[in-house]
Amino acid sequence: MAQLRLTALTKSYGSVHALRGVDLEVEDGEFFVLFGPSAAGKTTTLRVIAGLEKPDGGTLMVDGQDLAGVPVKRRDMAMVFQSFALYPHLTTFQNLAYPLREMKMRRAEIDSRVRETAELLRITHTLDRRPASLSGGEQQRLAIGRAIIRQPRLFLFDEPLTNLDAKLRHDMRAEFKRLHRELGTTTIYATPDQLEALSIGERIAVIQHGQITQVDTPERLYAKPIDRHVASLIGDPPINLVRGTLKLGGNTGPAIELPFMELDGNPWREGLQALDAGTELLVGIRPHDLALVEENGDGVPATIEITEPQGDITILDLSAEGVALRMVVAEATGARYTAGDSVRIALAGADTRLFLSDSGTMVA
Amino acid sequence: MAAATYHAEHGTLLERFFARNRGPILVAPALAVLVIMNIFPLLWSFGLSFYRYRANRIKEPEFVWFKNYQKVLTDPVVWERFQTTAIIVAVDVLLQLVVGFLLALLFEKTFPGRRVLLMLVLTPMMLSFVAVGAFFRYYYEPTFGLLSQGIKAITGEPFILLGSEVGALAGIIFADVWMWSPFVMLLVLAGLVSVPKHLYEAAEIDRASWWRRFWTITFPYIRGLLLLAILFRTIEAFKLFDIVFLITEGGPGTSTETIAVYVYRVAFQYFKTSQSAALGYILLFVVIVLTNLYLFFVRRRAEEEP
Repeated sequence: MAQLRLTALTKSYGSVHALRGVDLEVEDGEFFVLFGPSAAGKTTTLRVIAGLEKPDGGTLMVDGQDLAGVPVKRRDMAMVFQSFALYPHLTTFQNLAYPLREMKMRRAEIDSRVRETAELLRITHTLDRRPASLSGGEQQRLAIGRAIIRQPRLFLFDEPLTNLDAKLRHDMRAEFKRLHRELGTTTIYATPDQLEALSIGERIAVIQHGQITQVDTPERLYAKPIDRHVASLIGDPPINLVRGTLKLGGNTGPAIELPFMELDGNPWREGLQALDAGTELLVGIRPHDLALVEENGDGVPATIEITEPQGDITILDLSAEGVALRMVVAEATGARYTAGDSVRIALAGADTRLFLSDSGTMVA
Repeated sequence: MAAATYHAEHGTLLERFFARNRGPILVAPALAVLVIMNIFPLLWSFGLSFYRYRANRIKEPEFVWFKNYQKVLTDPVVWERFQTTAIIVAVDVLLQLVVGFLLALLFEKTFPGRRVLLMLVLTPMMLSFVAVGAFFRYYYEPTFGLLSQGIKAITGEPFILLGSEVGALAGIIFADVWMWSPFVMLLVLAGLVSVPKHLYEAAEIDRASWWRRFWTITFPYIRGLLLLAILFRTIEAFKLFDIVFLITEGGPGTSTETIAVYVYRVAFQYFKTSQSAALGYILLFVVIVLTNLYLFFVRRRAEEEP
């Protein structure tokens, strides 16, 4: 169990700035996800926390103790590497027992702990085998097992599911949640996969170019992205960002002029008041918030460019007045259309977001 | 291929012959050299080992079946030489492994001047045996040799290393270790750098001690190469001739006379040509047995690996 606080952590590799001042607070017992595109600084952050890398600047505190100068061995953390880093010449049993051997534990206790952990992760049948003869999922579970067996105060997971196939990933996501509920250990989990981040994180930190841009719950991250970058990282298919211009002084209040329609600006009245007329804005429209409307109804005309059936839903790539838009419809609806068809669309949801075009920050 | 086919069907008889047999013709010179310089003498000496024959007498060779082998194997001198050789091989190879291993551990890390130092350490391996032999002969020389001079500066007495049996053995072994430890180092170093770095990191997080980390992670990666190093060095040490001959000529007395030096003496000083051929073949047999023994272990290891 541990509470973790990073302050202004920096780390460079030569001219590459991996971390440019990372501030982070992780609560005791929290399942915390570090989410960001590849090379954003996730792995470096975890390695700094584990002590495998020395930060250039900033502080790292666990339970109020400054970890600067504390060697890896005495940090009492366990890490699961993206490559699993299983010991190739040891059996599953020996791999699991490895962290225990240094704890001056009695042989019988090691044995029972190993069997317990193996059972928990359902790899008992592989105890006498070496990692190379295990399947991807078994290797993954073994790597997790080696981390949890010691009951450390902090787990660090570095993209543990990236090397697995889609089906396994799905199963393992649930596994992680289950494990966390059972063990309750503070966990920091790095992933480039937004679905993974949203589905398992209690709180998520979005990291980009070595900086944390937003820390929030999955729901709020989706609903209230702090800027256009976070908005485009969260949500699948990604949010539509359409350029628009602010119009003030109309009878009905502020409005945003989009190439294919005019958007009522009243929901953002307060935020828009501070802006000048003619300000360039980015309107973020979730693909789920667009709807097809009846022929001859309201809405704007659009042409279907591509249909992407996904099983239960179909993604339609549209073009409205030259603007590319993505929307999601039920599979049965999608099946009625093919590329080249003309449709009419309308804004149906309330999840539309406004961002300043130049800085990308959200308009409240 | 098209051109070859063309020539095979047209042109003069000679042209056609060359076009059809281009491959064999190209290999022929190398094969000829191999047969004349290598295979023929090998077979000839094998045949010779069954005759009574002395290269310095004009006398018809006489076929004596296995008499030479019988004589050689019952000769107590041969067994004595085998013993001398065994001592040298055991100590020599062991020291090479230890020194080579320590060097590899040193050069695995990066430090200023590593490249230059590595080059210096590798140099002995590339020298010729004659150079190394001559070098150490002067080095151990009692009147002006560096070793003797150094000890004289402390004790006031010149030091004759090669005067005693143990000293002579030590001198030979030291020279060979000096020359061949870098070879072991290269092999071990190759193993060391092949260990994935993240395994060390995982071990660090798992709080493994240096000792455990070495045995469970590092050692498995160098085990195979270490076996190879032992194999190569044992075979080479078993045949040790040049350095011994140049430094001690087998002396003092016969205390450093290895089996290879003995074969030379039997052949070119006692001129028991056929007997030396027999002994040479016994030597070859031992080396082949050793090789296969090691290969057997290496293969069994390979099967154990995932």
